[in-house]
Amino acid sequence: MDINNYFLLFPVLLPIIAGVLLMFIKFGKREHMQLYILLILVIDLASIGWIALQPEDTLTLSQFFIAEGLHVFFHVDMLSKIFSVLIAFVWLMVGIASFEYMAHEKNEQRFYCFYLVVGGVLSALAFSGNLLTMYVFYEMMTLTSMPLVMHNLSHEAIMAGLKYLFYSVAGAFMVLFGFFLFNAEGRVLYFAPGGIINEPNPSGIMLFAVFLMIIGFGTKAGMFPMHGWLPTAHPVAPAPASAVLSGVITKAGVLGIIRSVYYVAGPDMIKGTWVQYTWIILSILTIFMGSMMAYKEKVLKKRLAYSTVSQVSYILFGLSVMQPIAFVGALMHVIFHSLVKNTLFVSAGAIICKTGKTKVRQLVGIGKEMPVTMWCFTLVSLTLIGIPPTSAFVSKWYLIFGALDSGIPGLSWVGPVVLLISALLTAGYLLTISIKAFFPGEDYDYTKLVNHEPTWRMLLPMVVMTALAVILGIWPAGLMKIFADIAASVL
Amino acid sequence: MIGNPILLLLVVGPMAAAVIGYLIGRVNKSARDYFADAVTILTFLAMAFFFLTYKEGQEVSLVVPEVCGMGLSFKLDGFRIIFASVTAFMWMMTTIFSKEYLAHARNRNRYYFFLLVTFGATMGVFLSDDLFTTFVFFEIMSLASYVCVIHDEKKETMYAGAVYLAVAVIGGMVTLMGLLMLYHAAGTLQLDALLSVCEEIFPENARWLYIAGGCILFGFGAKAGMYPLHIWLPMAHPVAPAPASALLSGIITKTGIFGVIVISSRIFLHNGYWGMVILLFGVITMMLGGILAVFSLDLKRTLACSSMSQLGFIFVGIGMQGLLGEENALAVRGTMLHMFNHSNLKLVLFMAAGVVVMNLHKLNLNDIRGFGRKKPLLLYTFLMGSLGIGGIPLFNGYVSKTLIHESIVEYIELLKEGHGAATFAFASGAGTAALFKVIEWLFIITGAMTVAYMTKLFIVLFVEKNSDPEIQKKYEAKTNYCNKVTAAVLAITATILPILGVLPTMTLDKLADMGQGFMFGVSPHHAVHYFSLVNLKGGLYSIVIGALIYVVIIRGWMMVKMKTGTVVYVNRWPERLDLLELVYYPIVMIILPNVAAFICRCMDFMMDGLILLARKTTHRQLHGGKNPPKGYRVSFWLGGIFNTVTLWLNKTIYKKHPLKRDYVLRFAEKERVFKDANKIIVASVSFSLLMFGIGIIITVLYLFMVR
Repeated sequence: MDINNYFLLFPVLLPIIAGVLLMFIKFGKREHMQLYILLILVIDLASIGWIALQPEDTLTLSQFFIAEGLHVFFHVDMLSKIFSVLIAFVWLMVGIASFEYMAHEKNEQRFYCFYLVVGGVLSALAFSGNLLTMYVFYEMMTLTSMPLVMHNLSHEAIMAGLKYLFYSVAGAFMVLFGFFLFNAEGRVLYFAPGGIINEPNPSGIMLFAVFLMIIGFGTKAGMFPMHGWLPTAHPVAPAPASAVLSGVITKAGVLGIIRSVYYVAGPDMIKGTWVQYTWIILSILTIFMGSMMAYKEKVLKKRLAYSTVSQVSYILFGLSVMQPIAFVGALMHVIFHSLVKNTLFVSAGAIICKTGKTKVRQLVGIGKEMPVTMWCFTLVSLTLIGIPPTSAFVSKWYLIFGALDSGIPGLSWVGPVVLLISALLTAGYLLTISIKAFFPGEDYDYTKLVNHEPTWRMLLPMVVMTALAVILGIWPAGLMKIFADIAASVL
Repeated sequence: MIGNPILLLLVVGPMAAAVIGYLIGRVNKSARDYFADAVTILTFLAMAFFFLTYKEGQEVSLVVPEVCGMGLSFKLDGFRIIFASVTAFMWMMTTIFSKEYLAHARNRNRYYFFLLVTFGATMGVFLSDDLFTTFVFFEIMSLASYVCVIHDEKKETMYAGAVYLAVAVIGGMVTLMGLLMLYHAAGTLQLDALLSVCEEIFPENARWLYIAGGCILFGFGAKAGMYPLHIWLPMAHPVAPAPASALLSGIITKTGIFGVIVISSRIFLHNGYWGMVILLFGVITMMLGGILAVFSLDLKRTLACSSMSQLGFIFVGIGMQGLLGEENALAVRGTMLHMFNHSNLKLVLFMAAGVVVMNLHKLNLNDIRGFGRKKPLLLYTFLMGSLGIGGIPLFNGYVSKTLIHESIVEYIELLKEGHGAATFAFASGAGTAALFKVIEWLFIITGAMTVAYMTKLFIVLFVEKNSDPEIQKKYEAKTNYCNKVTAAVLAITATILPILGVLPTMTLDKLADMGQGFMFGVSPHHAVHYFSLVNLKGGLYSIVIGALIYVVIIRGWMMVKMKTGTVVYVNRWPERLDLLELVYYPIVMIILPNVAAFICRCMDFMMDGLILLARKTTHRQLHGGKNPPKGYRVSFWLGGIFNTVTLWLNKTIYKKHPLKRDYVLRFAEKERVFKDANKIIVASVSFSLLMFGIGIIITVLYLFMVR
């Protein structure tokens, strides 16, 4: 803990500073700004990649004290590495895709300013080594990502942004409250695998603190009852913003839950208590509700938002049963869902900016107009449904198997059943789009076909993420080994 | 990878070829067709090589670890070689046939792509050595074949396709649940290991295993057209292109059977209760399929219902395996051979039907009447198929049906002797014997129905004349109804059938010897005399009753003389009696989603509702508050300063190019925007919460620092 590795600040500060600078620099051409952003994102990814390759014990930064007992502390463990690499990668991919999308929005520069800042803050969030640091950056993330939501400043967008803020802040308070309760016990809340509190017979107030933290962080992860911001914020936000919101920022909530439950409170403390059961029930309810609402939804982006509600709760379900295999499945689903949802939102963005269609029923024959986009859309849809051999099938397999193995009376099989029903609904709300898109019917007029395919800047990220989503499913062994190590350390 | 990598090539090769074929198709269409032909022919040759060099005990296997997390494993034993060869053979024939059939269709590139993907996946199912691998390829096959089914994208095609897809996806998910439960209970999905593990854990885990088995049966049974999940079968076949229907009916349904056989012989080997369940479903499927086929007025639909009925026969065979226990040699061989025969038969029949559709684009019996007259090749092909499937002695269907029939008779004998109760103990002795006597008769009657509906089709196509003499003349004039390649395909496939039927001991028995080990069957003590009087009697009953059904029901009831004097076929099936429309659609598409959606909506609105309440009561939005008529004070003040500065600058520095901006207006505009946004924000619940939060944080920081 003595060695301070100041390089950890680099991937945090670089995008933040670059983002703030973006407010003041005037670019002659759009291309120059894009090049600047691209450069920052690539350097960011490279530096995070470099950090990820370092041994864990050299990656500590313990220099800053706000006050006695308020310690901003960075420590990069395996989990941080996974999340930060995921964040930087997705940020780069969506960044590239957004160049084309943002051309038809105003105030591009302001968007990218906040885009970069949120990227930096998220890296810091992933690197956090104690609950305080995490909380600080968690709040910062909320505040800096709000402008992304209300980017176009229409009345609707501002209201959505405020709703996002309301939910996030409310969630953050619950976390804060839990944090106080922990602190009141005189605990120092540094993350340690397996938890630092870990009392076998916890007091009711401690359990309540953990519960509040789960609900609080669960807000960002879209867990019922605090999921309401997702379906409102996504349709109004620009597509790249919805992509990262859904693909990455919800995962920040997941990271928060993992940290607070598995690294602070300790799974042994919660196992078998009402907190665990409530958590499982809430996540099961969310899974079902999210996919049912998505199935009934008519607006494409809103449908995807509800889908996120449901899918992120797969992860929460996997975490809540506290079983190593399910834990591995949950972490895999973090990665896979992130890739899939980003691809889905980017392709939705491509559809919106190229054809202006936002409703599902307008998408008849769109596969003929933008084949590559819709192929990516279809492949990742299959992934999300869990059709083998794509990736989410693998994560679902482990999630369900872990749940069955956990032996929690009743819930250990209700959960899997709901998961599979939700998978059916997923097929219902995603495959129908692909079918409409590719099989417009025999009377479809092929002579009026216009090619709406976006340029490579949008296609490249989609294709790369789709390929990853499929290939990681066929060869998940590398990832699985890493996650199994993490699972072994915390459970 | 441990083992023979050729096995992987057999599976992945066609899928890779699908991509290559697609790319070729972008450039040259006929090159793509030949490429697809070449791929299927090569695969078939590879399978033929394995088939010819197979020796008992020399299984080829392959394990690909870590793929999809669980790893894939493949194996080629006798049973798998036979069915993989059949798969390759069918694909070879249908791919060649597709070229002419789809010559004028759109989106052929897509068709060939998915045809080859389905091919690889089907091979994967048959080669798989653990249920995980089976499931992976089963799912790929289901989805890829969907695209082949809905090829023409007509409205009813899309509907039928949707039903097909829905059944496939639902079946897939339920199977997945079953597999996970089985894996949870047994700890392995490896086929060779499952049997011993399941025997060991059976006593205490019987409930889990039955639930798991039921779930797996649901998925595979759905694919195999088992009642009550058969709904997709009569819908999807008529609308699909003929080569796809041939494959769907001939081999893709057999993948479902494969799965059912796996669970029946690995989890519930020689389990009487399980056998009874399968038997009952089999009997219902068999009867219902037959009845639907008799009533059907559509060429391909009749064949599809016939498939369902024949699959019912196979289920009966599987059920008898479980009931007969150790002495199930006849049932095992009958099941296997009927799978084999039915594949070949349906290949022939659907391709013959395809030739009709290709020329007429019509399927209704009244429309296609008399098309086959004076077309000897078509007649030969269709006749061979009809005789085969009708179970006429000297044709292949007879052999396998006889075996299954014999197994039922054998069980009745056992029951009479009092042995049967040992394996199946619901009731013993005479009562059960009577039940099985009934089943035997149902079996014979279904066979009779097969004869009846095949006779119907044959007479419609080749004997009767069309009610419109003009059309009949046109039909008879049509001599070039298919090209030489198609003709060769038809002739070859049709000729195989009587060869198998005439020489059962040299052909089919050998196949049965080769494959029966998969279901743990042993060769019977003495060879079955297929053409002995006892066995011929069963076949004869079927033919006689079949002729009766044809004359009385089809000719007597289903044909009506019109006023013009022509006789037409009419639909006697009550329109509303449709399981899909009557039960499934309302439940799955209307009642369940809407009820669930209502509950979900309430949940969804819960938190938002609270916020809404707060906004309507404690945090009322500020309304009214018109913009102040003049004087954005800040902007006026700031703009004034800027204007002065500009004025001064214009006098001194920018003399030549004076700045002409009114900063008061500029700032006023910005301030208005800012104020508007601000008003909304400040009045919101979120803002007060935020302020509250900042307050808390400051308080806490203060407390910390003081402490």
